[in-house]
Amino acid sequence: MSVDPLSRPETKAQPLQKGALTISDLNKSFVIGKKPRLVLENIELTVQPGEFVSIVGASGCGKSTLLRLIVGLDDEYSGEIRLDGERISTTSLDRGIIFQDHRLFPWMTLEQNIELALLNTDTPKARRAQIVADHIALVNLKGFEKAFPHQLSGGMAQRAAIARALVTEPKLLLLDEPLGALDALTRVHVQNELQRIWMAQRSTMVMVTHDVEEALYLGDRVIIMSPNPGRIRRIVEVDLPHPRDRRSPLLHRLKDEILAELTTGAAIGNAPSNLIHLHGREER
Amino acid sequence: MNRLLANPFIRIALGFIAPLLLFGWWQWQTSTHVTTFAPPSAIGKAFAEMIGDGTLASGIQATLRRAFTGLAVGAPLGIAIGMATAVWRPLDRVLSPLLNALRQVPMIGWLPLMGLWFGVGEGTELIVVSMAAFFPSMLNSHAGVAQVERRYLDVGRIYGFTTPQRFRLILLPAAMPMILTGLTQALAFSWIATIGTEILMGADAGLGVTMQLAQTQQRLDMMLVVLAATAALGFAINQAFLRLRRFLLRWQPSAL
Repeated sequence: MSVDPLSRPETKAQPLQKGALTISDLNKSFVIGKKPRLVLENIELTVQPGEFVSIVGASGCGKSTLLRLIVGLDDEYSGEIRLDGERISTTSLDRGIIFQDHRLFPWMTLEQNIELALLNTDTPKARRAQIVADHIALVNLKGFEKAFPHQLSGGMAQRAAIARALVTEPKLLLLDEPLGALDALTRVHVQNELQRIWMAQRSTMVMVTHDVEEALYLGDRVIIMSPNPGRIRRIVEVDLPHPRDRRSPLLHRLKDEILAELTTGAAIGNAPSNLIHLHGREER
Repeated sequence: MNRLLANPFIRIALGFIAPLLLFGWWQWQTSTHVTTFAPPSAIGKAFAEMIGDGTLASGIQATLRRAFTGLAVGAPLGIAIGMATAVWRPLDRVLSPLLNALRQVPMIGWLPLMGLWFGVGEGTELIVVSMAAFFPSMLNSHAGVAQVERRYLDVGRIYGFTTPQRFRLILLPAAMPMILTGLTQALAFSWIATIGTEILMGADAGLGVTMQLAQTQQRLDMMLVVLAATAALGFAINQAFLRLRRFLLRWQPSAL
């Protein structure tokens, strides 16, 4: 799964693949106090169809901004973001996103909240109720169909948000610190569910998190970003089959390495050196 | 104490304490100041008289019709303009300064001008009542839509909502608490404006008209019957509206 950005395949070479994300020479700046401020610099990333990529980094490294660009909520950037060869300029039902806050509409029941995702799809109306019910079952929320969001716990609401994002079967699912607001126990539980769902659906997923353990547990690769401006500093391959064992020594060794990497502070500048591949192989 | 309040009978009974104390004080006063206070016993007689000759019924009917016609014209217009100016900035720039200046004029202040333009009569009264309902509806609807959180609008964009969908599924329900607050105020204002214009401009019938008539005839008892009827009706309408509000906002946590 090693991908060298310098020799990445041309987008035309992968027409049959679904959910291939290619980001090249992406730069993004915000105007803060009348001065432009670079938040993402020279981002190069290729995500294979069906791959799970985690992104970790200090706050302010532009992780969430990157996801907003990929999902199409913000289209002011230079460079290229392509999904299956098509340049991204606005939102699309091909791309889903789960935010840190569940963003269920408080005025709708759980069921209605999930069904609204199907509103503009070509799913036949007759089948929608069944699809919604299936997804509610998938995230273990059976019996709460008619509940309003304020009646759900944080973990339940977040699982409902996951169901809403999955119901359209997006080719690419973006997860913006989806479990950040959950308590440790619930988080582990939802991580397991996420892994199970991903293994069943195999859509491409890109998850931003500040939890290194979570990034390693779920990701095929972990992208380490450094702040000011946000750059990709390292890409760590996690060469372990799914479902994974949390106690795996490899995961623990990689976790220590990544934490060391994140806490060494100052980013080392030039572009080529910020793409060092740490190959993790399980010692047997 | 909280356990006592959980009992609906006790809760309602507590609401009668203050009116009964007022009633007792009143009865006591009438024994010393005969000319300025009519005793509650006289009210009963006047009440029977006004039911008998139909004054009360026709007054209530005329006042309710006026208040609700004005509300039915002013409130939807206010909600529509309030929401439109919140969604569409240019319209806001064009309309809001004028409307915000106009609303500084108390409703009663419009009466002389309106009387001059449209004559003293039903039409003028309806215009003033509509205006009374219009402004609170407009202001609160505007604020309600302007405060809709971007994160919800983002969800709409992600699922490809069309403009009508965005309105129906996000803007309208998100603004609904404020719209209903506006309507509660509109209800109170149009009730006040109706009785006020009836007193000041007169009409064929109406609670305000009866009050005015009672004053000229020095019928203190009649006046008090009308006051009590106005208070009771206004209270009943407000309660009914609160129920409707609770139903429409059943998705909100009931912590308040």
